[in-house]
Amino acid sequence: MNETFLTITEVIMMPIVAFIIGLFMVLMMRKLAARIQRRIGPGVFQPLYDIVKLYGKQTQISHGLIHDIGIIMAVGGYVAAVTLLPVPGMNGIADKGGIITLTYLLMVPSLGLALGVGQCANPNGSIGISRALTSMLAYDIPFIIVIFGVATHFSSTSLVSIIAAQQVGGFGTWGISEMPLLALAGLFALHASLGKHPFEIYVAPAEIATGPMVEMGGKFLGGLFVMQSFQLYAASVLYVSLFLGGGENWVTFLLKCFAVLIIPFAIAYLFPRYRTEDLVRLMWKWPVMLALLGIAFVMN
Amino acid sequence: MNTLDALLLISLLTALASGLGQGHRLIGWITALLFSLQFVAIMVMGSLGYGGAVVEASISLSIFGHPVSWRFDGLSWFFALITIGAALASSIFAAGSWAEDYRKHGGKPGLLQFAIALNVFTMLLLLASGDLLTLFIGWELASWSSLLLMMVAGGKAKNFALRYIVYATGGAMAVLAGLGIIFQLTGSFAYADLAAIAPSLSTLQIVSLSILFVFGFGIKLGLMPFHLWQADAYAETPGPGAAFLGAISSRMALFAIAVVLVQLIGLVKLINIEIPFTFLSFRDLLLWVAALTIIFTTFTALRQNDARRLLAWHGIGQGGYMLIGILLLDPLGSAGGLMHIFNYATYQAALFLAVSAVIYRTKTADLNQLGGLVTRMPLTFLVMLIGIIGLAGIPPMNGFVSKWLIYRSLIVEGMPLLFIATVIGTLGTILSVYKLIHNTFLGQLRLEHEQIREVPWSMLLPMLVLSTVVFVTGFMPGLVLDWVVAAQAALGIPQVAHHLGGIESAHGSLDMIWISGVLFSGFGIGALLFYSGNKTKHVHQLDNYAGGHFLTADTRYHYTNNFYAGLMHYIGSWYRNSFQWLESSLVSVVSLLSGFTQILFHSFHPALFLLITATLSLYFFAG
Repeated sequence: MNETFLTITEVIMMPIVAFIIGLFMVLMMRKLAARIQRRIGPGVFQPLYDIVKLYGKQTQISHGLIHDIGIIMAVGGYVAAVTLLPVPGMNGIADKGGIITLTYLLMVPSLGLALGVGQCANPNGSIGISRALTSMLAYDIPFIIVIFGVATHFSSTSLVSIIAAQQVGGFGTWGISEMPLLALAGLFALHASLGKHPFEIYVAPAEIATGPMVEMGGKFLGGLFVMQSFQLYAASVLYVSLFLGGGENWVTFLLKCFAVLIIPFAIAYLFPRYRTEDLVRLMWKWPVMLALLGIAFVMN
Repeated sequence: MNTLDALLLISLLTALASGLGQGHRLIGWITALLFSLQFVAIMVMGSLGYGGAVVEASISLSIFGHPVSWRFDGLSWFFALITIGAALASSIFAAGSWAEDYRKHGGKPGLLQFAIALNVFTMLLLLASGDLLTLFIGWELASWSSLLLMMVAGGKAKNFALRYIVYATGGAMAVLAGLGIIFQLTGSFAYADLAAIAPSLSTLQIVSLSILFVFGFGIKLGLMPFHLWQADAYAETPGPGAAFLGAISSRMALFAIAVVLVQLIGLVKLINIEIPFTFLSFRDLLLWVAALTIIFTTFTALRQNDARRLLAWHGIGQGGYMLIGILLLDPLGSAGGLMHIFNYATYQAALFLAVSAVIYRTKTADLNQLGGLVTRMPLTFLVMLIGIIGLAGIPPMNGFVSKWLIYRSLIVEGMPLLFIATVIGTLGTILSVYKLIHNTFLGQLRLEHEQIREVPWSMLLPMLVLSTVVFVTGFMPGLVLDWVVAAQAALGIPQVAHHLGGIESAHGSLDMIWISGVLFSGFGIGALLFYSGNKTKHVHQLDNYAGGHFLTADTRYHYTNNFYAGLMHYIGSWYRNSFQWLESSLVSVVSLLSGFTQILFHSFHPALFLLITATLSLYFFAG
């Protein structure tokens, strides 16, 4: 009973922590973009202010119940998913569902968003979702190969034991030094999964008027802001857990998490975007090849 | 008279009653009532699902001196439960308003009920088979009765059904040949005799037996390259019939493969047989056939514009998961494969019924002529939503659990490429089911559908019950895993250790009670956040604009056609109707072979033909 109580406390704590860290990740992203574009960028609390402002807006247009539920699923799915990601001192329910469960649980928010956008009956939104699902098909294939490689290497699908195995011998036993090819392929997939340039064809503001976001205003957009904070957090913590030895303590953990994101952010704001078919071609070529090669090494 | 006798008797009665009472107005409800009696009977036999003793039927006959008998074990019970459950749901759906509407449009609902009842009876006979002869008889009866069900609609459906029976006859010949070989070797049709000589079979004998049986049974399962008949034949069957066929009919092949290949001959030998000049074992070959079945049919489904065909194509692909699971043979994988049969039946039946409900109201299943129905038919939408989450294998529905077991087992067994293949299948499924629900229920509502109402309760009830099962068995997979373990025990393969919430293992566990619980708490937090924001203003569904222009409802702008245009830009050229090409080349090969044998036998030299045949069979049985 005591253990259950502890788990419940952790399950409540982890999303809060994730949201706060996620907000700072959004801040970092916007600051980085600003510096690359020679602007000053937003203040520390700007991501939070944005969310509060959007939730408090007077014009809140809903296209029906599924539109609302879509946003609820998008936020709620991430709130649940981050409890599967161990952080220093808290394992949440990570031992009750490993990386396969997490991979599929992370599809729940996308499905929710897709449903909500569908209900809006805006063709631009639907086109955006069709592109978003296509790019999911594109980056999930290398990602899933990476998952297989990591699970085989550590002979476990539990993130708790994967992290424990990496922390045994310091940097030498980290995933990235034992499986560099998989780590590289994983970075590709991570970048594409964030939906930032050059993989943001599904948003394409000039072409399909921001796609999925086209009918989202007020707290609907606010929900997507919340979702983005969680998304950045989940992606970077997953990468850290698979390849960078997880978190020994909060300081190194946070350092690693933010460092992982700097790479895709720095690349993102320097490039235009790929077309859908080029994105698919790219993701099915280089990361898949790298990951398959990585698996060949892991399995020998 | 024991419970098995009672079950078979009620099942026979159901078929007779629905057959004789064709014209009667209440025949649909009477059949449904009789089906629920069958369901009660299968529940009374429930101990079989928890490792109870085998139930023997008291009737046993003797055909040409060979004793034939029927009995139920854990495996038969598991399949029979799904069969009767699917039939019950379909028959309730088909009993009320649906039947009236169907009759009004020239259909014969009584005939449909009779065809379903006959299918159930013959399938139960197959599942109860106690020896190879009854297995074959049951197999043939089930094949022909599903032909009847496919032909009920008449018209185009007849052609598709005939195509099916051509394939099925080919399969039956292969099974018959396999039985002939076994009879030559053992001199009887008893399971025990085959199991007894199985260890001493030569490699050639095992390979040819396996090929014959996998080919023969696999045709019904829709294994590539013999899958072309299935989607059309199932899709053209009237709604509830298609739900029944899609849910369970082709899974009889898995039962037969499990009994003959896994239980009697033993898969371990297939693992040890290497295919010359490759690094594959014979089992790997079968696994790859199943994996390719998953990928190709799923991506064919992605291109369908008819909701029923889309589902039917997915049905073929999902069969691949089950076969992979069973062939994996380890506790996790085989549990996943068997459990997937149950899970798949629940959501596939629900999905087919939901599509039938849409057809009932709109008279079309064309995915380019629907849209926006969510406000008109919210409960049907909910059923389809739960169904597609199950079909796509996303938590918290049951489809995720069985697929998880298969993925997990593929990782443990170290089969990366198969693992990737199964995941590619799942990702393709996600794309395609979103298209299904988007084009039907989301997006723009057509003006002619503005007055549509939800379907009546007689149709809603079976759909809602099925989706509840999809959800509950996803929340507590242990309920089904108990039965799966009994089936594994009946097959004599290692059993999976499990608890109510899932699997406990040192190398990665799954506890769906926690995961679903946390997921729904997450939704709760999401809802709290959402409703704490400022009040929303709901706009009317037809009040819309796009690209800065206000659009009136008579402008059609629902984005449906070529839904994944970007993807098709890249992979579209890979399709090229290669399946049709494959089928025609199969036909050419068969006709060439038969022509060749005919020439050899009739005009060339009968004696030489006999000599070749005799030498080959001597070599086979002696070597």
